[in-house]
Amino acid sequence: MTEAANSYIRVRQVSNMHVSINDAVLIEQYRNGDSASMEQLVLKYQNRIYNVILKICADPDDAAELTQETFVKVIENLDKFEGRSGFYTWTFRIAVNLTLNYCQRNSRLAFRSLDAEQQQQDDSKVQQVLKDFLSDDSSPDPAAEVQNKELYRIAARTLMGLDEAHRAVIVLRDIEGMSYARIAEVLNIELGTVRSRLSRARSKMRDILEDILR
Amino acid sequence: MKENPEMDTNAYNERIDELLNGYIDDELTGEKQAEVERLIDQDAKIAQRLRQLRKCKILVGSMPFAEAPASVLEGVKASLAGRSLPSEEQAAYEEQAGKKHVLLRKVLAAAAMIALAAVLSAVIHRFVPLQTAPEEPVARMVAASGFSGRLELKTSALNAVDAFIKSAIDDNGLSVSINPERRQSRRIYSLDCTREGLNLLLGDLDNIWTELDSATLFVYTENFGTQTVVEAVTTKQIAEINNQDSSERRIELAKDFAVLNNLAENLPDKEIRVAIEAGDSILTQQWRILKPVLTSDQKAVKKPAEPIQEKQKVRLTIILDW
Repeated sequence: MTEAANSYIRVRQVSNMHVSINDAVLIEQYRNGDSASMEQLVLKYQNRIYNVILKICADPDDAAELTQETFVKVIENLDKFEGRSGFYTWTFRIAVNLTLNYCQRNSRLAFRSLDAEQQQQDDSKVQQVLKDFLSDDSSPDPAAEVQNKELYRIAARTLMGLDEAHRAVIVLRDIEGMSYARIAEVLNIELGTVRSRLSRARSKMRDILEDILR
Repeated sequence: MKENPEMDTNAYNERIDELLNGYIDDELTGEKQAEVERLIDQDAKIAQRLRQLRKCKILVGSMPFAEAPASVLEGVKASLAGRSLPSEEQAAYEEQAGKKHVLLRKVLAAAAMIALAAVLSAVIHRFVPLQTAPEEPVARMVAASGFSGRLELKTSALNAVDAFIKSAIDDNGLSVSINPERRQSRRIYSLDCTREGLNLLLGDLDNIWTELDSATLFVYTENFGTQTVVEAVTTKQIAEINNQDSSERRIELAKDFAVLNNLAENLPDKEIRVAIEAGDSILTQQWRILKPVLTSDQKAVKKPAEPIQEKQKVRLTIILDW
């Protein structure tokens, strides 16, 4: 396995390991005046928040700024956090809301995936990579797929072909790995809406992939 | 009623898709899961659709995990620099509650004192013409550093307010002292100008104050990293703070405005609140009233200090946000 794949798996493992630390304890410590606790919470979640925001907004600078804004808002509103949902859910709700609002204000984002670099890709190569990927009925190793830059570009392009609401639900499910119930909490929508939205989003993705193949 | 077979087919396909996606995501009950497995076995098209949807999931899931840049944590720290921790806020709240009580008593006492001072000054004016105030030691005023602070404005009409501020800056000839910084959701203006320049700008900004959702002034103290916060600040209050000659007086006045604004927000009597906000109330007159001056046989000396005051450099960072 390559270094890139190892790094990918390592990051995932680190993210999952971090979840075991008790957020409530850190929040309580912060409320009692220990500012280092908040730093720990930021460090614990910043990569996952950043990753989700980046996949929705597709711009590293904007994602960094929105991640920062998320944590500032989280800290500013910590006294209003009642713990009815988990800190993780609450933080993601703030992050996704900020990102979706930002995307709506900057509709140009919808066209980012069609930037010059991607347009200059060799279409036949992209098509071949996609054909191979779709025709392979074996279950591919996600870590191995990471190495395929063409495939990554196709994924990004497909994702950006969705509108923000569909993109968010796909990212929360397929990248962050949230359950439908958690997604409903984060997006503040009904469970049934999560099911239908996710279904439509994947269906639309499929249409986009077919368009690339044509 | 006429049936629409196309609509029926679409609804059926959507239902099948939802089931298949739930199956892929392991979000179905045992019963539904069995139903899907039966459908896959019986219908090759559904089995094919399942593979297609699964590929979409795999494709997105295969995107590399991106780590946040180190600047995020630093940025969060910088944004929160100077803000108090929750425990400190609680202490500050309790202190402020006590201050409110004291202020109420002070206001009553001040009203009586002001009335007395007004009567006394009328008497003094009648019998002895008021002489010009003796000159303050010039060296002290020159040495005093100018106002330094940060003004955070929040508005839902970001672009309109931003355009107005830029126009006001240009109109007052402050463009050279402005270092504008544009970020996605905020505009930052680092103003470095004279006291008079700031007052002129504030006079213009007063026109857009109603467009703001909030206006908070942070007055920096001489102790690095500490500041006094005045919420719901008005342009007049900023100008008054700016006009003070010493850091101590600016801080003292800012603290008083902070308590006064807080009190104004919470006062049940609307008339008093309106009077305070209008700035014509006896409650606010106390900031402008001249100190009684003792008369003597000394010749009056003309006060030359104004130009020196105006040359004082002030620094104000205006952060406009939505």
